[in-house]
Amino acid sequence: MEPILTWARVNSIWAVHFNSGSCNGCDIEILSTLTPYYDVERLGIELRGSPRHADVLVVTGAVTRQARDRLLRIHAQMPDPAFVMAVGTCAIGGGVFQGCYNVVGSVSDLLPVDMAVPGCPPRPAAIIAGFAALMERIRKGEPA
Amino acid sequence: MLDDLFALLVFPGGLFVVVCGLVYMWLNRKLIARLQNRIGPRWFQPAADTMKLLGNEEIMPAGVDPVLFHLFPLLAAAGALTAALYVPLGGVNPAFSFEGDLIVTITLLGLLTLMTGLAGSLSADRFALVGANRTLTQLFSYEVPFLLALLGPALAAGSWQLQEILASHGGRWLLIMQPIGFVVAILGLLGKLELHPFDAPEANTEIVAGALTEYSGRGLALFYLSRGIELVIGLTLVSALYLGGIGSPLAFLAKTLGLLLGITLIEALMTRLRIDQTVSLWWRLMSVAVLVQLLIVVIVGRI
Repeated sequence: MEPILTWARVNSIWAVHFNSGSCNGCDIEILSTLTPYYDVERLGIELRGSPRHADVLVVTGAVTRQARDRLLRIHAQMPDPAFVMAVGTCAIGGGVFQGCYNVVGSVSDLLPVDMAVPGCPPRPAAIIAGFAALMERIRKGEPA
Repeated sequence: MLDDLFALLVFPGGLFVVVCGLVYMWLNRKLIARLQNRIGPRWFQPAADTMKLLGNEEIMPAGVDPVLFHLFPLLAAAGALTAALYVPLGGVNPAFSFEGDLIVTITLLGLLTLMTGLAGSLSADRFALVGANRTLTQLFSYEVPFLLALLGPALAAGSWQLQEILASHGGRWLLIMQPIGFVVAILGLLGKLELHPFDAPEANTEIVAGALTEYSGRGLALFYLSRGIELVIGLTLVSALYLGGIGSPLAFLAKTLGLLLGITLIEALMTRLRIDQTVSLWWRLMSVAVLVQLLIVVIVGRI
């Protein structure tokens, strides 16, 4: 059963998008990724509204004090196996918001990040490449 | 005995209808994608989605009744799978047939929507509650006109049994004689499947995922599968009743695919109606139209 399940997980990635304090730049790029021009549905990637349906939590931005508990709660609401993808420099290391009075830190300080997509903001092609790399990791059984 | 088991598990119920449902769901998604100038999902996409959901953890929200939480998706799938036994799937005569099976089939098809609504009202999640409210409201608005639309051919044939209705029409296209009924049936199908323009109950952009917000893993997979099965059965019913009966399996396949293309076109063209607009459309316009259609059928007699 396990190879079939892995195949299904690789080919059907449902993502939920969370902004933990981003400047909106990365969010706009994520929305561009979902447009017909890039059409991620051909790779099996779909944006879902509910974290209960999602496999990948796509986080943008440095984590603020306000967003911290909500980020942890949304991650806890996702069914196993839940993967985390940090999109943008701020999500990876805090970026220009590093050390701000209202910033707790990067996403990796709070959650296990399975894939990081650097860029300020990363282009849609880079985000798709990040998804492809995540698929490759799932295929090899690396995360989780 | 063995025949019955075969009918239940392989054809037309069980395996065949599940595979059909996955294929038709893929066709629907692919066509939508092509109409939006996209490439669209690969052919195995719905199968991969279902398998992945079946393998995922199933989270039960705090405070829900565990028995009902697991029972509702099972009942929805059971209703859809049972309905498959009474319709001429794939252009072959139904596996089981009795007086009044048309009504039973429509009731069984309605079970999915009812179960979705009840499942949404189980938890205290506000999105699920709003979704459940909308699902049930929509159920009460489209179900009666849809039933009446499918009763038109039955009334014209003077029977409640699907096989007898089809035999009595003998391959005539009722679409020409009862065009209003056909339109209402098509739109009723869209309402039943919660496709555009009747997708207010699961409106992704406003209420997360509607009634199924709290469902994950196996329960969600069962609802997902039942939706696909329902798509196949609905298309089969409408094309059998309105598009000239069964004919040969190949011709019937062409008819259902043509109908799928039709509803996909409507789906791609329309935007979402608000729930009050949906209700007023069904009760003010559609139910009156279908009653006029029934009146014509009754007055003109067996057309």
